[in-house]
Amino acid sequence: MSLMRLGLVRGLIGQAVGTIIGLALVTLLRALFGADPAWLPEPAWVAGAIIGGIGFMYGVGSLDDWIKWMRGIPTPLHHGPPPGQPTWARYFGVDYNHKIIGIQYGVTALIMLMIGGGFALIFRTELVRPGLQFLDSNTYNTIMSLHGWTALMSVLLAIGGMSNYLVPLMVGADDMAFPRLNAFAYWVNVPAIIMLLASLFFGWDGGWTVYPPLSIIGSMGFQFVFYGIFFLGLSSILGSINIIVTMLRMRPPGMSLFRMPIFCWAVLATSFLQMTATQFIGMSFLMLSWERLLGMGFYDPAKGGTPILFQHTFWFYSHPAVYIFVLPGLGIISEILPVFCRKPLFGYRWVALSSVAIAMVGFIVWGHHMFVSGFSEYLRVPFMVSTLLVAVPTGVKFFSWLGTIWGGRLTFPTPMLFVLGAISVFLLGGLSGPILGTVASDMPLTDTYFVLGHFHATLFGGYTFPFIAAIYFWYPKITGRMYNEAMGKLHFWIMTPAFWMMSLGQMTIGVMGMRRRIADYDPTLHVEFGHFVITIAGFAIAFGILLMVYNLLHSLDVGKVAGNNPWRFRSPEWQIPSPVPEHSYAQPISVVGEPYDYGLANSTYIQMGAISGGGHAVAHAGDD
Amino acid sequence: MPKSASDKRHFVIVAALIAVFTVILYFVLDKMLPLPRQGSDEALIIDDLIHSHLMVIAFLFSLVVVFMIYALIVFRKREGDESEGEHFEGNTVLEVVWTIVPLIFVVVFAFYGINTLAQVTHSEPNEFQVKAEGQQWSWDFVYPNGVVSPELVLPVNRRIHVTLHSKDVLHDFWIPEMRVKQDLVPGQDTQIRFTPILTGDFKVRCAELCGRNHYSMETPVHIMQQADYDKWMSDQEVAQLSGGSTVTGTTTITGTTTVTGTASISSTTNVTGTTAITQ
Repeated sequence: MSLMRLGLVRGLIGQAVGTIIGLALVTLLRALFGADPAWLPEPAWVAGAIIGGIGFMYGVGSLDDWIKWMRGIPTPLHHGPPPGQPTWARYFGVDYNHKIIGIQYGVTALIMLMIGGGFALIFRTELVRPGLQFLDSNTYNTIMSLHGWTALMSVLLAIGGMSNYLVPLMVGADDMAFPRLNAFAYWVNVPAIIMLLASLFFGWDGGWTVYPPLSIIGSMGFQFVFYGIFFLGLSSILGSINIIVTMLRMRPPGMSLFRMPIFCWAVLATSFLQMTATQFIGMSFLMLSWERLLGMGFYDPAKGGTPILFQHTFWFYSHPAVYIFVLPGLGIISEILPVFCRKPLFGYRWVALSSVAIAMVGFIVWGHHMFVSGFSEYLRVPFMVSTLLVAVPTGVKFFSWLGTIWGGRLTFPTPMLFVLGAISVFLLGGLSGPILGTVASDMPLTDTYFVLGHFHATLFGGYTFPFIAAIYFWYPKITGRMYNEAMGKLHFWIMTPAFWMMSLGQMTIGVMGMRRRIADYDPTLHVEFGHFVITIAGFAIAFGILLMVYNLLHSLDVGKVAGNNPWRFRSPEWQIPSPVPEHSYAQPISVVGEPYDYGLANSTYIQMGAISGGGHAVAHAGDD
Repeated sequence: MPKSASDKRHFVIVAALIAVFTVILYFVLDKMLPLPRQGSDEALIIDDLIHSHLMVIAFLFSLVVVFMIYALIVFRKREGDESEGEHFEGNTVLEVVWTIVPLIFVVVFAFYGINTLAQVTHSEPNEFQVKAEGQQWSWDFVYPNGVVSPELVLPVNRRIHVTLHSKDVLHDFWIPEMRVKQDLVPGQDTQIRFTPILTGDFKVRCAELCGRNHYSMETPVHIMQQADYDKWMSDQEVAQLSGGSTVTGTTTITGTTTVTGTASISSTTNVTGTTAITQ
């Protein structure tokens, strides 16, 4: 079969053509209006990036059905591999099945995780010794900045992957509410990734926070970041709307909100954050772009603006974003823990509502990133108090996990190990938070490696570890085969101690005075050994991830057949064959009990077909 | 070893382990996080706050981890045991307790934090005034009498008030030994205050990413006795201000790169080098 039939290939060609059109258009217009010189790189490339992005979406075929609708052509929702093409081709083109899209998201997330980690290894190697060895400071800054955004993209993609694959299955729906929008929301990430990575060739040195005025006077790579993230934000907003509608409108009879699997609650809270906060980063990045292009003065004090305004709009998204990143991971922990404890989730309602509470408090704490920024001094106090408040719902989660473990019958296969690893790592991240949340103790620590250690622990504990746990846990459901258990455990025992070493190492040298984002450091700080340890740990983590990738690929062929429900899990998706059939459920399901009633004799959560007899379950159906 | 999950002996053992582990962990944390020398009054206050945080961290970490590891060992599934875990779905009293108790911690720390902030940032009459100007990638310090220096020289045991001014992008004024930190924002002056209590040599390090050579935006700080400071200042006045022009305010000194040769301090030789890279 010809490569040209793959949506991805056509999309890339579309993006290339679109970019050229954009470049030509601006140059032509400038020539036409007599602007001198006609070729001005920055506006030309910006137009190229935007039209290229649209070109990709057109080329990949994500707009096909909508264009047909406009012309009055009916488009039945096609399920199954496209006619005349092998099954694997589905993953490289537009497909409306949420399970395919979930896997597309998940695999892209892993690729981005490896690219982001790869960037980190490059500059970590540079930092082993003081002095500049093989990177100049410009390259260092660009790679360091790219590490941030590629890794965060990986997080957002992984959240898309987990929620797309799992939520419709967990609520017994045949697919997402808007399958075409779902495919669009995935594919818009691909041109975003290309734009982001293209910034490498133009250089940018603002860190992932791209604070002006540096991002105004810096080189052109910034523009690619702005529009890459803008497209990414589009994906977040559209994806979250889809998830929310699916969850609120498509649950089966009997599944009241408080009978959803707990992961759905976490995703619900995350989706509301994504839907309402992402606009702010899109807007603030557009304002940066226009300030560069058109000389607008939003952030320019000479024109009546202020650089601090950007920090407000940036963190108004980017702090809730941290909760967007970690809530689904915490949901995964709460979801998997009861299975391997053979016990109900302790305090289901409290855990569910703590996600909502974290999401709500998350909106009023952004100023804690700005304690030393020069914003109004009085603002420090309310932000300090609201920040400390986050500890309360987070504490509820930890204590509920302990309550779940207590008195269980615990087994420790790889997903359980990663869940326990996640709890310990997230605890490290969480507990290093309040020290940064009180202004006075934040002063010596902010902008140092202590902050780095803190948020790497938060993101590894809230995202990377749970994501890996989820991959191992749902791998048998997705592929129908088991991964290699010994290799999975080896992965855990390499990665967890290595991560602890890395994160604690970062905190230690941060306290000693190592600043963030510096290409070279003062040898008199005596942090060289710390850097050596962190770098070794970084390589060990990378090795662990590669081991997992090998395990997953290898087990596709040789893994032992998993059966429907190897974990004896009560969630609906484990009651149907593995891998999940094209149309997940042969008949509509209904919910007749509580999701986590392990240890309660004769209790069932779902049954295939309509509810028979169980009158109390019907009463819950209309709760939303 | 008691088997039932609600057996009181479990909790006695766990409580004892938590107590022991908390103490050990506190000492480990204290060793593992070696703060720089305490160079100012603020360092004393802030380090106390940090150590109170470390105590709470040691306790909460022990609480969760000891409970977790104890449970992992005691409640692991034994060979041949196919039973399910004990069925309990939650405990509202416990949930309320572990919502209220952290809330009390939050209130206490918020109160403590606000007080510390007030102590650290308070202003006094007769503060020692100096202005710091940051630019990519060097510092200039302008004294009220018009003396300009690429290195910061300050008297010990006086409340220092630095007015921070940026000429281009964001920077951050940070002397690790003084603990406090403040961004420089173009278009507005920001303030930082501290009271040095140690004499000696330190460094101002820029702590906000400011472009290509951000890593090298450091300059020496010399804290000295008032008498030594006065001598240094009079040397500077002779060198910089004796040219006949009456310098009244700080604003008249703009050509700050000209002062590099006036070294009365031993280690200024690399200063010209730093300014040369910048433009």
